[in-house]
Amino acid sequence: MGRRIKVAVLVVSMATLVAGRSPAADDPAVLKDLTAVIALQGQPCGQVVTATKQGDNDYIAACKDGSRYRVFVNAEGRVVVQKQ
Amino acid sequence: MLESKGPIETVKSGDRAVTIGNCAGAMTVAILALLSQASDGRRETPRPASSAAVAENTRPEPIPAKEVEPRPRPPQLAAPATPRPPTTASKPPAVAAGPPASGQNEPPRAEPVPQQRPPLEKSQAPLASTPPPSTETASPPETAAPQPAKPTAATLDLTTLEQRLRDTKAIGVFTKLSLKNQVDDLLAEFREFHQKRDQTMLARLRQAFDLLVLKVLSLLQDGDPTLARDVSSSREALWNILTDPNKFQNL
Repeated sequence: MGRRIKVAVLVVSMATLVAGRSPAADDPAVLKDLTAVIALQGQPCGQVVTATKQGDNDYIAACKDGSRYRVFVNAEGRVVVQKQ
Repeated sequence: MLESKGPIETVKSGDRAVTIGNCAGAMTVAILALLSQASDGRRETPRPASSAAVAENTRPEPIPAKEVEPRPRPPQLAAPATPRPPTTASKPPAVAAGPPASGQNEPPRAEPVPQQRPPLEKSQAPLASTPPPSTETASPPETAAPQPAKPTAATLDLTTLEQRLRDTKAIGVFTKLSLKNQVDDLLAEFREFHQKRDQTMLARLRQAFDLLVLKVLSLLQDGDPTLARDVSSSREALWNILTDPNKFQNL
């Protein structure tokens, strides 16, 4: 039993490590959405080339010009674009 | 050159031809000299020497052809008009006797005719050209007839616009949420405007409203052009709703 528990804990921890920083935003729709949001907020970006999902409605977007932004929805339901 | 031509004309055409030769011959020689000058620069030196002695009308030898050409034409236009009726009966022998002289005289005669004709054609052309615009202007109303149906169907109120923006797939979730935030901010500003009734805010509100509409249009124009057109056509209606206190309270 103890050995099985150890294996299970190891599997879960590995899964969380791998899934936590997964580049889940390779979807062009997400990249386009992030590009539009950053542009709507008036931030210079050009085009989002890659995005990393941090959580629900929380992304780190890397722009074509090299700038990076964190795009997320705060507790008040507002979309926030933070320059990293 | 001129001396040799002068006797030839007198011998062939007689007294009448000589009188013509004094004027028209000098003119043709001048035209030939000008043409030769324009075509070849080497012959400029010999011809001016001969033509200057005979043709006094060719005084402006160094003067470019532009200044010389208009001078001979008016006399040709005016002269042939009067002499033609009397000379039509008497000239045929002269024309038959001196083919080169008639050949030189005919072109200038032929020139004024086309010069007179083109204005006629030009005068007809505008008449012909004016109808097409009228037909074009007449056709747009025909084509515009189906268009009014779209704007009438496209005048959106705020609730319909909100629902259609929610349903469209042209905008992502983040973008929709961000747009909603900006719309809420703008509505809050309008609420403040109606409370304070400060007309100075109206220009700034209009600017913000136009900017927001432009943002929406830029987001929709590729993915949902129909909705973009509807939003664009109902812009003024939306503005009227927002600026009217009564309508704004009913939102």
